[in-house]
Parts: sequence; C-alpha cells; structure tokens
Amino acid sequence: MVLKTLEVMGPMHGFGIARRIEQLSEQLLRLNEGTVYASLLRLSQKGWIRSEWGTSENNRKARFYSISAAGRRQLAREAENWERFSGVIGKILEMQAGG
Amino acid sequence: MLTAIRVFTSRLFGLFRGRSFDRGIDEEFQSHLEMLVDRFTSQGMTRDQAQYAAKRQFGGAAQIKEQLRERHGSALLDSSWGDMRYALRQMRGSPVFAATAIFTLALGIGANTAIFSIIDAVMMHSLAVQEPQQLVVASWSANRLPSHLNGLTSSGDTPDSLGEVNPTGSALPRPFFQEIQSSGLFTDVAGFSPAGPLALSGNGPASSVEGETVTGSFFNMLGIRPAAGRLLGPADDNPSAPPALVLSYEYWQKTFGGSTLAVGKVVKLNDIPFTIVGVAEPRFRSLTFGNVYDLWIPMSFWPVTGPSHMRMRRAYDDPLSWWMLIIAKLKPDLPATRAQAATDAMFRNFTEHAGGQPIFESGDNPRLILVPAKKALVGHIRHYADPIWVMMAAVGIVLLIACANVAGLMLARTAARRREIAVRLALGARRTRLLRQLLTESVLMAMLGGGLGVLIAIWGSQVIVTMIGSTAARPLGLSASLDWRVLGFAAAISAITGLLFGLAPALRSLRLDLTPVLKSGTQASTGKTDPRHRWLSMGNGLVAAQAALAVVVLMGAGLLVHTLTNLKSINPGFDTRNLLTFELNPSLAGYKGVESDAFYRELQARISSLPGVISASYSADALLAGSWSRTDFRYVPPGGSKKVVEVADIMPVSPQFFKTLKIPLLAGRNFTVTDYDTAATNRAAQIAQDQRKPGEPERPVPTTPESALVNRQFVKKFLAGVNPIGQRFGAEDGSDPDRSKGPGYEVIGVVGDAKYSTLQRDIDATIYVPITGSGATFEVRTAGDPKSLIAPIRSLVNQLHDDLPMTNVETQTEHIDQLLAQERIMAQVSTFFGLLALVLACVGLYGLLSYEVARRTREIGIRMALGAERSDLVRMMVGQGIALVLAGATVGVVAALALARLLTKLLFGVKPSDPVTLVAVVLLLLIVALVAAFVPARRATTVDPMSALRYE
Repeated sequence: MVLKTLEVMGPMHGFGIARRIEQLSEQLLRLNEGTVYASLLRLSQKGWIRSEWGTSENNRKARFYSISAAGRRQLAREAENWERFSGVIGKILEMQAGG
Repeated sequence: MLTAIRVFTSRLFGLFRGRSFDRGIDEEFQSHLEMLVDRFTSQGMTRDQAQYAAKRQFGGAAQIKEQLRERHGSALLDSSWGDMRYALRQMRGSPVFAATAIFTLALGIGANTAIFSIIDAVMMHSLAVQEPQQLVVASWSANRLPSHLNGLTSSGDTPDSLGEVNPTGSALPRPFFQEIQSSGLFTDVAGFSPAGPLALSGNGPASSVEGETVTGSFFNMLGIRPAAGRLLGPADDNPSAPPALVLSYEYWQKTFGGSTLAVGKVVKLNDIPFTIVGVAEPRFRSLTFGNVYDLWIPMSFWPVTGPSHMRMRRAYDDPLSWWMLIIAKLKPDLPATRAQAATDAMFRNFTEHAGGQPIFESGDNPRLILVPAKKALVGHIRHYADPIWVMMAAVGIVLLIACANVAGLMLARTAARRREIAVRLALGARRTRLLRQLLTESVLMAMLGGGLGVLIAIWGSQVIVTMIGSTAARPLGLSASLDWRVLGFAAAISAITGLLFGLAPALRSLRLDLTPVLKSGTQASTGKTDPRHRWLSMGNGLVAAQAALAVVVLMGAGLLVHTLTNLKSINPGFDTRNLLTFELNPSLAGYKGVESDAFYRELQARISSLPGVISASYSADALLAGSWSRTDFRYVPPGGSKKVVEVADIMPVSPQFFKTLKIPLLAGRNFTVTDYDTAATNRAAQIAQDQRKPGEPERPVPTTPESALVNRQFVKKFLAGVNPIGQRFGAEDGSDPDRSKGPGYEVIGVVGDAKYSTLQRDIDATIYVPITGSGATFEVRTAGDPKSLIAPIRSLVNQLHDDLPMTNVETQTEHIDQLLAQERIMAQVSTFFGLLALVLACVGLYGLLSYEVARRTREIGIRMALGAERSDLVRMMVGQGIALVLAGATVGVVAALALARLLTKLLFGVKPSDPVTLVAVVLLLLIVALVAAFVPARRATTVDPMSALRYE
C-alpha cells in the first residue's frame, strides 16, 4: 500500500503517507500512525523506496520518501500476483456456484 | 535473493551510523507529531488537547523507536559489543580473579603455541631455492639390498632404510646420473654428495670443515645467487679445471669476517689448493633441512675428499658404487608421473646391464621413484620427531588442566553473581542472551590469556630450539618463527579454550531457582540442598579431572625419567670417566697407506709422556659415538665340518687400547709389535692386489694370519666349548669370487664385553684387530680434567705435522651425553610439564577448598558450637580434598596405563605399566594435595563460631 501511494502521489513524508492510508481505507484501518515507519524502514532496506530530507508545506524539516525503479518493478509484480490470485478465487467461486 | 543481500548490506552499514540514525528518527517523529498537532488545532482543539490527541494517534514512540533500532543495525553485533564492555568492567572489578585466570590460561595457551610454532617451522620449512615444487629427488627401493655393489652409502639427507628387508635409499652411481642428464626428461639435473670433514689449511691454523660436492648445474638449477664473486658452474665440474670452491655465507662471515678479499684467495683442502671463487647468498643455507655446510666444491673433485684417492677415483665412475644424490627439475610440460615412469625404466635397465652382471638378484624388483624434494630432504630433523610429539601431548593435557582450573574459578565467581543473574532473569532476559554474555566474558579472558601466551610462546620456543640444537653435532638451521599460521593457531585455541571452560559454569549458573535466590541473596547455606549439591559436584568433578590429567602427565614424565636413568646407568664395559677423544686423518695431509702407522705410534708415545696423562691409545672408531663397523667371515664352527658365514663387529685398535679404556683381558695375551708388523704387511699386500691391473701377475699372498682379540660374546656365540686361543677364522683360499684371498685371523686372547656404538644396542660379538693405515680416534685417559690437556696435545700434533687438524675433540662423557640427547630432552620437558600439571591441579584443589570453607562458614560455626574439635574440622575438609584427588587419580591411573603404551617405542628398560613409577606418581600427587588441602582446612578452624552463626 505504501508503495502504491508513493507511486501515485509522488514523494511524500511519513505524515502524508499516514493521512493517505487513512483516507484510502476510509478510516477502517486505524493503525497507530507510528507503525508506518517500521514499514518504511523495511521497504528502504529492501531498496524499493528512497528517502531524503526536505522541507514540508508548513516549513517543517521532514524526510521525503519516493519509490525507486526496483520498487516500481516490485509493485508491478505484486499487482500481477494479486490479479492472478483473485482470478483463481473468482474461478473457484464460479465453480461453486455452477455446481 | 538480491533483496536479501540489500537488506543485509544496509543493516551492516547501519552498524556504524547508530547515532545519526537515532537523531534522524527523533527529528522525523518530532515533525510528524507537530504536523498532527497542527491538524488537530486546525480542527479546533486547544494546544494541550491537540498534543494528547497527536500522541495517541501516533502510538508509542519509544516502542517504535526500539523496533526500528533493532531492524536498523545488527542486534547481534551491537549487543556483543556491549557484552564485551561489560565483561571488561567485570574483570576490572575483580582484578585478582582476572589476573589468576588470565595467567593460568596464558601458560596453557603459550605452551601449546610454542610447540606448534616449532612444528610449523619444521613442517612448513621451504627450500630457499627457485621453484622448489618442481624439484624431485631420485629414490630407489627393492625387496632386498643389492647384492653385487662395491659400495653403498647413506648421506643422512634422506630417510633411507638400508636394512635387509625392503630397503630404500637415495644414493646412486655417477654413470646413472649421466644417463639421466642426457635423457632430456628434465629441465635440468644436478647431483650432490656430502664431502665429509675436510682439512682446511692456509687460513690460520688447520681446521676441519663440512663440505658438499655438487655438479656443475647445481647452483644454476636452484636459482641461487652469489653474495660475492661467482658460483660454481659446469666449467668447474671438470677434473682438468682449476679447483674452485664456494663458501657459505655464514662460514664466510665467521671465518673471513665477510671480507671481499676472501674471493680469489687460495686455501688447501686435504692438501690440495682450491681457489675461493665466491660466496653463496645468505638466504641459502642448505638444500637439506638441517644439514648446514661450510663450502661447496665441484663434483669432479669428489675423489680427493676421501682417505684413499685411488679408491675414490675408481668409485667415481663405477656403476657399482652408489654414493651420489640426484635432484632434478621437472619440465613444465612433462607430468611427474611420465618422467617417473621413464626414469624407473632407465633404472631397471641400468641395474640389469650396466655393471657386467645384474646388480640385484632376480625377484628383488628394484624400482625408482621421484620424490618431491621437500619431502625427501628431511635431514636430521626427523630424529627429533619423537620428542616433539611427546611435548605436544604434554602441553595439550596441561591446557586441559588449565581450562578445568579456570572453569573452577569461574564457577566460584558465577556463584557470587547469582543474585545479579536472578534479577536479570526475573526482569525478562532470555537465558540464551545471558549465556551469550557469560560466554563473552570467558572468551574475552581466554583471548587476553592468549595474547599473553603468545609472548610466553616466543620465549618458550626459543628455549626449546636451543635445547634441541645444543645436542646436535652440527648447527641445525632451525628457528621457530611467529607467522600468521602460529598466530591463527593461538587465536583459535584461545577461542576454543574460552568456550570450553566457560560453557559448563555458565550453563550451571543459569539453572537457578529464582525465588529463594532473590529472597535470601547470596550463598545461604540453609535452603534446598539440591542446587547446592549440583554446584558442588561440578566443582568437585573439575578438581578430580585435573587430578586425573595430572596423573597421566606425571606418569609419562616418570617413565621417561626412568628410561634416562636406566640408560645412564648402563655399564658400558669400560671406564668412561676422564677420557678425552679426538680424531685424526693423516691421509688428508698426504700420508699414504701404512705411513700413518708410524705417525700414530710416534704421537701415541709422545702423548703418553705428557704430564697428567695416565695412558693413551687409538682405534679406528670412537666408542659410543654412534657408528660401528661389521664384517662377515667364514669359518668352521667347533665340532662342525663345513664352513659357515657369520657376522660380527670389528674394531681395529692399538696395543694400549684395552689398558687405556680399562677393558679387562680375560685370557691369552695382548697385541705385540709383531702382530702389528704382520697386519701392516697383510694390508700392503692387499692394497697391491686391489691396485693390480688386469693382466699383471698375481702378487704373493701372505700366509700368516693376523692376530685378533675377541670378546666374551664372540666366544659364546662362535667358539663355545673349545679353548678359543689359537682358533682361526676368516681364511680364504680364493675359491669364492666375492672374497679376496687371505690368511684370515687367529685368536690370541679374550677380552671383556664392551659397548661399541650406542648404549641401547646390545653388545654383539666383537673382533679387535691391530690397527693399520686408516683414520684413527685417539683415547687419552687423564688424571684430572681431560679438557685441560687439549692445548698440549694440539701443540704435539702440530709439532709432528703442522697442517693436520684434530676433529671431534670431546670427552667420552660428552659423547654419551650426545647419544642420550633425545632421551634427556624428553625427560626434561615432560618433567617440567608434569610438575606444572601437578601445581595447577593442586592450586585448583586449594581454590575449591577455600571456596568451600567460605561457603560453609555458617555450617562450620554450628558444628563448632555443637562441640566439634578443630582437628575434626581439619580432618573433614582435608578428607574431602583427598577423596576428590583419589577419585581423580584412579581415573588417571586407568587412563595412564592405556596411554602409556603409546610411549613404548621411547622407553628403555622399563615397561609402560611400570608399577614403581605408578605408585611414586600417585604418592607424589597425594602428598602435594595434602599440603594444598591443609591450608584452607586450617583456615576453617580459625572461624569464630559466634560471628559465623550471625553470618548471613
């Protein structure tokens, strides 16, 4: 989800990512916001996102994350997997319905 | 896969950026929180409300930070670093414990490292030549010794075995060398042969040097460079070339002071002028490990290096005289197996046809292999293989004892830290985490001990090398080095040691029942006996193990010491005290054949008349000098009718021999002048016969048999039941082509048995004959210190002939010491380590009992209050200690009996299961243990019952 956000929205800081997730999940996923940083660290260790310091809208120093080329590839891979997976589920469900 | 590597690398780099990472996180969280606050305030909350809401929304910052930190670096390395610092603090807190443990470990690790560095130097020695891995040495073997050779030598460079069964050797004839040289199978071929002691004159007083003869391509093939002048080349290896010699760097420094004026100087070797053409580079000391030479001369001058030039010249080109070692450099494109197969075929062909008749009997299967030079040229070092293995075993056991010792110390320490460990466990520390920390402490201590041990090793290895070197006849060229292999060994052993002695106490300390420890704190002696007994049994077990190991080492030491005393107390059959010996070889100074007889007689007479000399004599070999001569002869045994062949030792001697050495004459008479004249005549006739050219008429053969004295063993073996006086043996009528015609010997007397070559070799049948025309060893019996007569005798020799060096000037006791060198080293070293083991074990016992007394202070107080006498308490503690030691000693005795069998080869006159040694060792252990146990036991008696009862 973080990867998708960054791909779509461009570089963001941790606060912005948390807001976006909140928005997307329509407030269903109420995480502690701080936990997003664990994911961010994991993703940056895997080389799928990059970070650099910058200034935010209201002039605060913040770290901005952006997706990397490898990250885009990973996103594409995951999307493909998801489609395949949901396709199989769909077929199974159809099967059941079909009898 | 790739991502895993990326993760790993970023975590690795994260190690070093810990602090900046922390700062970054703080800043980031801070700004995130502020952004949340902004949002909430913009929604209408107050500042305070907004801050609370922001924190709630964010979650636990500290926990998340901890999570991130764990992910970021490597938790393992981080905590290990912390462990190490903690361990150092602990050690600083109890310096006595740390110092004792570190020192004990240093002793154990240092001893092992010292021995390893020597083994490393011996095993890994590299030939100081170019491309040593391409060099091979020719080595022949067969089922039996060749039966039709004129001469076969063993130079001591290679591990030859010239016994009757499956012999193998490296000496080959020069015609075969020439064949290999011209075969084109190798890049280059060279030959070499030791030239024995040479008389060097023309540079100060005459001295004796060790030389080696080499063929023309020797230096070039090995890629050796000159340090001055030039080296020998093919042009020098020619009988008609001007004699040239090359000095070794060491000899050049020692004798010519490293002066370049030495090049071009002419000196005399065995009375023949040689020009010094150069000096070898300092890196090249010898080809064979341990055989160091003073100079090199061309192979073409090999005949002048021996006593009889004529005989040596014949042997030089004789396919039936095997004396030369052949070393070859493999061609890069010809594999060794092919070269070997070709050379083997050449060898078989050679032994069939080269000598006129086959050299080997059919079925002997002579074969030739090419051995890598490093493996073949081991020289004399292999004599020291045994002592070195003994040392290795001893130090290994000592290290185990040291480990057990320190483990005991650690046990006591972790007992003191029980409360700390219990608290940490209660706070949620994982047991494995604590184990890791305790092990870090022990490994760190072991590493520190290892560092100190390396220093001990440097010193110790030098001591051992000096000890070994002082017993060798020639300088060894061995020096223990401190290279990365040795250091790596020390580090590895330290780590293993640390784990070894740290693991058990650490594991023990973690099996805690938390509640009682937390409640009562330190060592409450009331409370459950179960964990206490478990503490006890491990500590006890360690002390018992140390006692067992000490018994093993002491047993080995005892057996070796026993061997040494046995050897030293052998009666050699002659008086060895106050006896000076030296060697002379007048043929090196130009005396030919029997001319030396008159020289010896003159010298002997003059020496006997020196003040301080009781008597003087000479013989062909020195007694107990490691070498001997044997001869075979045919005779008709008493009561028999056919001639049989027998073998006996033989030694040519002067008439005063038996008087000087105090060998008793048991029957018959001693030699007289007539006997010597007969011997000289017979010898001259034999020389004339040998030098006879084919076609010349046969010389008349003498008919008078030489007089011979035989020892009692000879009589017992060959002349039993008859009066030995007048018996004849060894007469040959010329019908046997292998034996020259001669009148043989007649027995004129019988002397007592005496040892000949070594102390261990049993006395065999010995024939003593009048000495004539050979090199001789003089024996001088002196009234006082034999060494005080060296100078007067030397001036006497110089008066008679000023260019004749005396060689091997030693006292008989020094000879014997050299013979027993190996046994002496082993006895000394094993005793040292045995005593060290004993001391360590008893220190361990002392430590354990001291700890016991301290721990059971309360119990002792109660006992005393209830009426126990001080002596009762002493008996209780000492009894516990002795019981432990006895238990350990029992195990040790069983182990020692099993392991001692490995030493059988090294023992003399004592069985591996020798009961006397066993009992002595156990008694020694018990006595020392008694003392070690007594001191803390006495301390128990000084406990004041009142304060003990209050002690908590």
